[in-house]
Amino acid sequence: MKDKGLGEFEELVLLAVCILEGTAYGVSVKNEVEKHSGRSILLGAIHITLYRLQDKGYLKSEMGGNTEKRGDRRKRLFSITPTGLKQLKASQDVRQKMWQLIPQLNAGQ
Amino acid sequence: MSNNRSKLSNWILSKLLPDVYLEEFFGDLKEMYDHRLEVKGKTYARLMYWVDTVHLLFGFSSIRLFKTQNNNVIMIQNMFKMAIRSARKQKQFTILNLLGLSLGITACLFIGLYIHEESTYDTFHEKGDRIYRVNQPMIWNAWDEQFASTGPNVALALKEEAPEFEELTRLLSLGPQTLRMTNGADDFSLVKETKFFGAEENFFKVFSFKAIQGNLDNALKDPLSIVITQETAQRYFGYEEAVGKFIEVKEFNDEWRSYTVKAVIEDIPTKSHLQFDILVSFSSYPEMFKDSEWKWIWTGFSTYGLVQEGTDIEALTEKIQAVPPKYAPATTTRIFNQSYEEFTNGNPWTLYLQPLRDLYLSNEPDSHRFGPTGKPQPIKIFTAIGVLILILSSINFMNLSTARSGHRAKEIGVKKVLGSHRRSLIYQFIFESVLFVFVSTIVAFFTVWLTTDSFNELSNKSLDISQLIVDPVFIALTITFVLVLGILAGAYPAFYLSSFRPVQALKGGLSTAFKGKTLRNGLVIFQFTISIALVICTFFVQRQLNYASSLNLGFDRDNVLQIHNMEQLGSQLNVLKSKLSSNPTIEAIGTSYATPANVWDGERYKTKGPEPSIADMSNFRTEGEYLDLLGVEFIAGRNFDPTRVNDKYSVVLNERAVKALGWGTPDTWKENSPIGKMVVCAFDNEEELELIGIVKDFNYNTLKEDIEPLVIMHQENDKIWNYGLGRAFISLRLNSELINSSESLSSFLNEVESEVHNVDTETMFEYSFMDQDFEATFREEKRMGKVLNLFSMMMMVIACLGLFGLATFSAEQRLKELCIRKVLGAKVSNLVITFSSEFTILVGVSILIAIPVSYFLVDSWLNGFAFHTPIQAWVFVLATALTMVLAVLTIGYQSFANAKKNPATVLKNT
Repeated sequence: MKDKGLGEFEELVLLAVCILEGTAYGVSVKNEVEKHSGRSILLGAIHITLYRLQDKGYLKSEMGGNTEKRGDRRKRLFSITPTGLKQLKASQDVRQKMWQLIPQLNAGQ
Repeated sequence: MSNNRSKLSNWILSKLLPDVYLEEFFGDLKEMYDHRLEVKGKTYARLMYWVDTVHLLFGFSSIRLFKTQNNNVIMIQNMFKMAIRSARKQKQFTILNLLGLSLGITACLFIGLYIHEESTYDTFHEKGDRIYRVNQPMIWNAWDEQFASTGPNVALALKEEAPEFEELTRLLSLGPQTLRMTNGADDFSLVKETKFFGAEENFFKVFSFKAIQGNLDNALKDPLSIVITQETAQRYFGYEEAVGKFIEVKEFNDEWRSYTVKAVIEDIPTKSHLQFDILVSFSSYPEMFKDSEWKWIWTGFSTYGLVQEGTDIEALTEKIQAVPPKYAPATTTRIFNQSYEEFTNGNPWTLYLQPLRDLYLSNEPDSHRFGPTGKPQPIKIFTAIGVLILILSSINFMNLSTARSGHRAKEIGVKKVLGSHRRSLIYQFIFESVLFVFVSTIVAFFTVWLTTDSFNELSNKSLDISQLIVDPVFIALTITFVLVLGILAGAYPAFYLSSFRPVQALKGGLSTAFKGKTLRNGLVIFQFTISIALVICTFFVQRQLNYASSLNLGFDRDNVLQIHNMEQLGSQLNVLKSKLSSNPTIEAIGTSYATPANVWDGERYKTKGPEPSIADMSNFRTEGEYLDLLGVEFIAGRNFDPTRVNDKYSVVLNERAVKALGWGTPDTWKENSPIGKMVVCAFDNEEELELIGIVKDFNYNTLKEDIEPLVIMHQENDKIWNYGLGRAFISLRLNSELINSSESLSSFLNEVESEVHNVDTETMFEYSFMDQDFEATFREEKRMGKVLNLFSMMMMVIACLGLFGLATFSAEQRLKELCIRKVLGAKVSNLVITFSSEFTILVGVSILIAIPVSYFLVDSWLNGFAFHTPIQAWVFVLATALTMVLAVLTIGYQSFANAKKNPATVLKNT
């Protein structure tokens, strides 16, 4: 169960968590992913993915930051773990390598 | 805001998800809700709140479900998958099934809500289980009926004799009263308060109403104390503190008396049999309780007792039976000059103790003076209809499921060959059926939720499902219902389908599939019998209602305007009358102390002589011109004549009153005319009234009751105390040619109003039309009629859906046969007839059964009415024709579609 790989949506969520650095929780991640990908996403999907990533050890979380706006409830703030960052990098590398092997794209250069 | 709205969804989440998730989810949901509220509005935000809730629910509860390796869970997953697959494969059946079931459950839910609403009145009193109302027989004319009112001294006597009562409290309806509201220094407006009761000091020790302002302990102790509801307080004083302020009430002698507000209570819940706005302390009317001799027959009070804890009610009831014979004789001898035995005429003067929870919805007494009473009959009818609708839709469901079996025979065969147990097949079918019921229930819940408002408008109830839906008992009931109905409806198909023998089923399941045909046909007949019977009954209910409102009353009720509150004019009454009579729009004018449709007063009368015949009769005080205005027919004697001074001490009777006094019928009058005989009042000073005329019986009350004997006395008879209910009216018959538009009517009403105010500025101008007063006596029945219409329509739709489903199925089965017939030369019309006849015969049989059944039902229902519509054959013909047309259309659609198919394609493909 070591190298579990990263799904496309998981990758988006992981990236969003990195961008948000310290302020990543359900709604903010949802907004971030929606902003970049342009699709509309349900909150449940984000939460499931966040928890799955945490189970895989790519994310860690803690409760905090309650505000008036949320009816005085705390958020679960997610942040990326070193493993997560490594995995993100790894999948980026795989892609990069494969990109370079596409003849149609390289021919033009 | 969102906290309230999202209560239910949050509750669901909190029950179904682990607690660790809840805080952040609720926070996220609220944050998004508020954002959406701002950007896209409330409806969208609320809808999305639910979407997100459901999504989170699926996401987080299914994680564990789908990851499991547990065999049972995988099994259920598989069943679920199979159910969805087969539902998709036969979309038409699925939709028919869901539609029929949802419709049935919706109807049931409404009926259930209605029954729940009606049967949970008066549950808010803390000591409710110890509160009883003391009822007695209707001592005026029907000793066999229970009456919710007693004389005031019943409570006093019980207090003496039965220490088992912790408290005894009396209530007296004093409304309507005219009150004065001060708007400014000299600016008043008059308000009529009908829910105006007199109450005893200990009222709040018995009943639990909550005080908002002031203290209830001694609120009704002192004279001129008043307790009002919050809504009333706001009407009079706005949002200011009301306690310590004054309210002025007009007395009988036209003087204003000020009452001090001692407390303000929360508004009375709708589900209370007591409905009041204002309570006044009994001690404000000391003169009312001064003379106590006749206080056993002044049946204006209700007596409520709070018994000690652990009291044996049966023993107490038995004990208090000794009270009336001991205390009532003083009254009967003083008032009627009759001994107790003579007065009761041998009937027992029983005192009943009726528990509080039964007060609203009991067969007897059928009404009381302080608020609404429920009608147990509609409840029974609706319960029956609800159960029938549910049975019908379950039958549909069973029918369609067994009919489908042909399609699934192969699936079952394959499963069996692969080693499936019969038990797991049964589980599969029952699971599917429960799933169907579950989905339909959800659909029904939403339908009810969305249509409650319109239903409430139709039935004038205030049903509300949102409170029930979070009630654990209700949820448990719903789950039980889903399981029971699902298992019951699924049982037959489950056992039947799973019994297929694999070899036969695989070879060609069609013949086996048709095995359940007799049962299915039986069920179709059953269904249609019930639907047709209900349609016929509905027809007659409507006809009866129309009949009642068009019935000849014995006088002309149209174009009669009645001006109320005329008792407040006192001697000025005749001034106003003569002023109005010069108006050209008015064809006739008359005064009376009551108006038909609402003649409620009655007394005891007798004939003169050593052995008088005694009769309790309604009475009504008026004058000659009013009888002319009504246009009642005199069959003997003459009307009151204003030029004869002595006429005011004479009396006019109706036919039945003459008979009740033993003076015979019109045939015997020729020989022995009752005109000129004396009618003796069996009370007070035993005044003698000379009979001068006899009128033909006319309806002076609701048409639900037969015409009772009636004594018409002159209103100026000053020797008799009885002034009816202390009210007076001026009635005007309007010229319908001059009053022909709403403009002319309203300008005429303005004219009359200014005339009234010219005579007395302190009299409120209120009016009603006589025909509308009669209509009003049927208002409840009309509403029930509409609700009944709705349900019988639903029933018909369900029956047709079932028929449609079966016809579709049968059409598929017989497609080949029909095509071969066509190839052999049959015309489309022949095919349609061949095919339709199978089902038309079933409907025909149902009609034959339904007619006698509905005749019996209609006949026994109509017999409960004094005046009822005849049972006419054409109604049966029309109702059955309608059903037949519907059924033929339903089947015809299928058969025609089949008959039109090209035989070549059909025969080639199979």
